[in-house]
Amino acid sequence: MVDTGNLQSLANSMTAIASPFRSYLNDLYHKYRLLNQGTVADYIPELALAKPEWFGICAVTVDGQVFEVGDCDQLFTIQSISKAFVYGLALEDHGREYVNSKVSVEPTGEAFNSIVLDENTNRPCNPMVNAGAIATADMIKGSSTDRLKRLLDMFQRYTGREHNINVPVFLSEKATGNRNRAMAYLMLNFGMVSERVEETLDLYFQQCSILINARDLGMMAATLANGGVNPITNERAIDEHYVQDVISVMLTCGMYDYSGEWTYRVGIPAKSGVGGGITAVVPGKMGIGTFSPLLDAKGNSVRGIKVCEDISKDFGLHLFNVAKADRNLKDWIEGNNIADDW
Amino acid sequence: MPKVISIHSYRGGTGKSNFTANLATTIALQGNRVGVVDTDVPSPGIHNIFSLEPEITTKTLNSYLWGQCAIEDAAYDVSANVGLTGDGKVFLVPASVRADDIAKILKDGYDVKLLNDGFRSLVKGLQLDYLFIDTHPGLSKETFLSIAISHILILILRPDKQDYQGTAVTVDVARQLKVRKMLLTINKVHNRLDFDVLKQKIEKTYEVPVAGIFPLSEEVVQLASEGVFCIQFPDHPVSQEFRKVAQQIVE
Repeated sequence: MVDTGNLQSLANSMTAIASPFRSYLNDLYHKYRLLNQGTVADYIPELALAKPEWFGICAVTVDGQVFEVGDCDQLFTIQSISKAFVYGLALEDHGREYVNSKVSVEPTGEAFNSIVLDENTNRPCNPMVNAGAIATADMIKGSSTDRLKRLLDMFQRYTGREHNINVPVFLSEKATGNRNRAMAYLMLNFGMVSERVEETLDLYFQQCSILINARDLGMMAATLANGGVNPITNERAIDEHYVQDVISVMLTCGMYDYSGEWTYRVGIPAKSGVGGGITAVVPGKMGIGTFSPLLDAKGNSVRGIKVCEDISKDFGLHLFNVAKADRNLKDWIEGNNIADDW
Repeated sequence: MPKVISIHSYRGGTGKSNFTANLATTIALQGNRVGVVDTDVPSPGIHNIFSLEPEITTKTLNSYLWGQCAIEDAAYDVSANVGLTGDGKVFLVPASVRADDIAKILKDGYDVKLLNDGFRSLVKGLQLDYLFIDTHPGLSKETFLSIAISHILILILRPDKQDYQGTAVTVDVARQLKVRKMLLTINKVHNRLDFDVLKQKIEKTYEVPVAGIFPLSEEVVQLASEGVFCIQFPDHPVSQEFRKVAQQIVE
């Protein structure tokens, strides 16, 4: 019997290219690339450099098949998407009880940058709002030099490749981040963050500036969908016990003020970022990553939302869906005769 | 429902391009709209059989792969060249024979996804009933892709030790790629061999059905790729064998 490692890997990439599912994503790409609604984030000048026509879609199955269309190589800053993953690291460092004592998990109708803490407990509402994300970043163990490295190593486990930071974005965020600074000091006052608040703010701004692409987002979501193990490298990115925590806060709080409607309409746990990315987890099946810098009024990628809505509807992927969908995901990925779309 | 058929062989010189041209034409003669794509980029040749001269083909598969045009722009209606009238049509997407074009592809490569998207676009755009993919011999990313997307893969071999061994490898690869349907065709069989015995032996060895056996034919050699054999010699045993293979495709 012949060793089939290389053959299998090449065969996988070919069947992924040839599969009807990729053709479906290609159709979605062409459908929405002409949708020019929304605006590019410009609260710092570096983000305003993004081109409105950039658009990429990448789906990765828990079997490690990668389907991508469009600008999946284009790098952009991860922004708020990082918050879900850093939350996972904080849980690994301290466990649920400690982490929950510093950050609650209630979705809030308030804007992501509001300076609001829970009345009774003084905790920030959830790890996805800025206050919660800062408190979470504060909990990451290590010295000032270690902590960033730990974050970057974590993202590497999720995506399978090394990551860098967009330094101009980091410096801009730092220079203009006064609301964040105010929140951090307010939380220091209530003991929700430690004395090393300036270091934590730096870490928070750096975490938001990590460079990723749509393929990375697909990979990260697929890793969560695969129980915390990267489906291609087989490396564990997060302790299996905390996968549910990360995914549930994504479901309830991941899409800014659109989270309620998103859960109702799309039903796939997801996290968006103002860099234009969305990462969406279909547990046990696959991860979806989208990139399009045009954002709606709530800060979510317009094209990204449309893509996820369509995929959820067409393949019946809403977590609580019981009705038969138009298309069966497995058939379309494997490309048997039922799903043949020639 | 459109069908995609890839014609492949492990070694060169098995008769792929002639086989593709003749099978495609035979099926077009039955009133079908047939497309043929020459994906043998390093050594294109099937355009000769369809009498499509390089001077005319300003746009080729190469142009499409470099994003210079839509794939339909590189498709040429060669129905008249092969004497087809009525509903049946043959469209050919040739690959470029200009050395510079071949060198560019070798140097820069291309995104194999484009090939996949191009095939689909061609089938839809020209409303094809059948798409034939003429491939480069041996294992390459194009052949892998062709095998992965085809409804039917036809492997051509001669009764030759090199072909036998190579076909075994290709059959294995095709199974890894979860090929939907595979058929073997034995070509250039000299008249000392018993065709039925040969057919059974090969079917047993590879566990793949044999769609047709073609004799080594002086007439085919003499035509020398100057035209489509089954149009010029419609009653020849070789042409009859093509009709037999065509029947298995069309069913």
